[in-house]
Amino acid sequence: MSLAWFARRLMLMFYTVIVVSMLVFAITQILPADAAQSLLGENATPEVLAALRAKLGLGDPAWLQYARWARHVFTGDFGISMRTSLPVGPEMLAALSRSLLLAVSAILVTLAVAVPLGVVAALRQGRLTDTGVSLIAYLGVSLPEFVTATLLALLLADTWHWLPATGYVSPLEDFGDGIRHLALPVLTVSLILVAHVMRMMRSETLDVLKSDYVRAARLKGLPERTVLFRHTLRNALLPVVTIIALDVGYLLGGIIVIEEIFAIPGIGRALMVAITTRDLPSIQAGALIMAATYAVTNTLADMAYAFLDPRIRYD
Amino acid sequence: MLSLTRRLFLAGTAISLAGLPKIALAEAPKRGGVLRMSVDQAASVIHPMLARVNPEYLVTELLYSNLTRLKPDMTVEPDLAMSWEPNATLTEWTFKLRPGVTFHDGSPLTADDVVATINAILDPRTASPGRTNVGPIKEVAAVDPLTVKFTLTGAYADLPVALTYLNARIVPAKVIAGDLASLSTTANGTGPFKLASYEPDRRIVVERNPAYYDPARPYLDRIELLVYPDRTAEASAMISGEIDLLLTTTPGDYERLAKAGGVKALRTPSGQFLNINLGCDQKPFNDLRVRQALALVVDREATVGFVAGGYGTPGNDTPLSSAYHFYKNIPLKKPDIAKAKQLLADAGYPNGLDLTLVASDRPSTRTQLGVAVREMAAAAGFRINVQTMPHATYLDQVWKKGNFYVGFYNMQPTADAVFKLLYTSDAAWNETHWNNADFDAVINAARVETDEAKRTALYAKAQDMMNTEVPSVISAFFDLLAAQRSYVEGYALHPRGSVFRLDMVSLGAGAPKRA
Repeated sequence: MSLAWFARRLMLMFYTVIVVSMLVFAITQILPADAAQSLLGENATPEVLAALRAKLGLGDPAWLQYARWARHVFTGDFGISMRTSLPVGPEMLAALSRSLLLAVSAILVTLAVAVPLGVVAALRQGRLTDTGVSLIAYLGVSLPEFVTATLLALLLADTWHWLPATGYVSPLEDFGDGIRHLALPVLTVSLILVAHVMRMMRSETLDVLKSDYVRAARLKGLPERTVLFRHTLRNALLPVVTIIALDVGYLLGGIIVIEEIFAIPGIGRALMVAITTRDLPSIQAGALIMAATYAVTNTLADMAYAFLDPRIRYD
Repeated sequence: MLSLTRRLFLAGTAISLAGLPKIALAEAPKRGGVLRMSVDQAASVIHPMLARVNPEYLVTELLYSNLTRLKPDMTVEPDLAMSWEPNATLTEWTFKLRPGVTFHDGSPLTADDVVATINAILDPRTASPGRTNVGPIKEVAAVDPLTVKFTLTGAYADLPVALTYLNARIVPAKVIAGDLASLSTTANGTGPFKLASYEPDRRIVVERNPAYYDPARPYLDRIELLVYPDRTAEASAMISGEIDLLLTTTPGDYERLAKAGGVKALRTPSGQFLNINLGCDQKPFNDLRVRQALALVVDREATVGFVAGGYGTPGNDTPLSSAYHFYKNIPLKKPDIAKAKQLLADAGYPNGLDLTLVASDRPSTRTQLGVAVREMAAAAGFRINVQTMPHATYLDQVWKKGNFYVGFYNMQPTADAVFKLLYTSDAAWNETHWNNADFDAVINAARVETDEAKRTALYAKAQDMMNTEVPSVISAFFDLLAAQRSYVEGYALHPRGSVFRLDMVSLGAGAPKRA
């Protein structure tokens, strides 16, 4: 039974990606402006333009272009970038890996900070700790990324010189420097996510603490620690899983601001460059890879949910 | 003719004389070190024939050489060619190549490589923007292994300047005969540096070419080029010492950089401009009086403040700024609303005119100029609606098609290049459709004239004609703004904006040690 549920969930994910691929392709077809013209810019003469258009196969009917593209994508070949002449797939995956590194680091930092803070705030509801923690959470949610980013960079990089203001170094090339470069963007993203997750954690914990089964557990005379960890936390964490999955989606889409501010060559920036230069293979690959990542994280979240709360599997 | 070749000969001697004592004296630039620099957009293309934005010109300049090079005063000096000589009618030019030059793979540079390169640029299938810019070349042939002869379709005095063109970098004949497209991801040039690694959107690294033809240069061991699409992030990286040199910045960041410790802000006047193109073949701008009226509403000094943050020079409706060799200093047009109103009334618009001015969003100064002109022109009866659109849409739908829009151009190497590019009837991008036979005749006479005084007079006349006839309103030129850490030595901003000469750069005392 539950196996069928997982299979159905996977199929749904697969269909989503296919529909997205069609949408992405259709949208790139109706983009105003001609890819050849965008690539050559104001330097193009008519013959040069015609030569490039022919080379790129821009004259073929749309369905043929889609079929050709889909067949290649299926074998893992996303084509050659019109802009850089490099294979698009590896470029986009490398960009995605940088974004994911940032996203996953931010989420780990967030969980480590937000979950305990949320629980503490719930346990001390109405007291000074709760008010203080909630205030910080509201600030974090209210300030846009670019404001927090600029303030943090101004303080930690420009004024105190603790961290490099911008730039990206791969932790695989130089671990220490890589982490130092990652610190500011992770901090910026975490500030927002911590606020999200903590508020959710606090209200869920409060709800669970008021529930019948917690009261029952307490009446049974279970120690407070067991009540908290076995009965309360496990149940309060459930919605947090969903929030995290949604946040990964937000991070991949919304992280472009962070990537711009801190000069991180991630997927958001790659897609933005692709769109402004009308680099069709890169737009298609980037959008599809992002959609697939989003679909995968959501499926994983659903599965984690099902794992934590078996009732869902039988829906 | 004589004066031309003598000047070139003198220039050549001066360089070799200047080069020698420099090595002998204690002042010699220090060798070694790693320069970390930033650019504001990706060098997506390293194929020298296809490069089209400044970071790409920088990378290809590091890896390749041209036959000739443009000096900061916009005259030429030898690069791979040591000397050159035209025939009496300026229709044939013979270039002598520097002996003993090798490509990065060790193979020697010969006349065949030059011939193959020029032919590949001229081949429409290559789709090189250089095709229309390397001069009116009919044929190029190897006379002997170190001599190349160019036969032109007409007389042309500027061929040595045209060959400095940014796409005319010399590549090996065997690459052209084999897989020319391979130059998109690899490089084999004669330049001062070799390609070490290439990640277009993130980082490009080049290393010293030990076999460079000048044994003294380059001074640096390695250059790391980092991409910072956000100018503010770039300026922050410079202030915190992450990078040593940034190629271009905005007026706002320039002021921040100038105040920072350990940073030297750089500035030079250039010929980069914004123009408001007027479709001279359509209503209402086919009437000279309407064009003149619009030119009279623009406060040029104020425009420099609006669009260039004060870092620029006012323009007088000609594309030549003071950075050009043949610039003529014409008294600046002053705003005269009464006269503009009168001209409009004479042209049949006593109640004013409704117009839509299109400005793309890149660079954003296009919109700033559009809005400034809207406000300035309102008093004379122009009711201008400024329409902003994404740059790609603008290129597709408005550029060269519209009859009232804001253009943006880099400085060109010569007066001839910019006039022939934009304003003669046969110009490749004659956006204004200004077809003036007298103007064409003046430009064509100037390009075949070798007498400096006569040439100056002809270009002066061309500038007067544009000033009067106003095919486009050119109200401001931009200065080039950049910055470096104070320990960077030997870097100078070139007015052309796309010549960099990092082979002259070295690191002085206080430079960070980098592995």
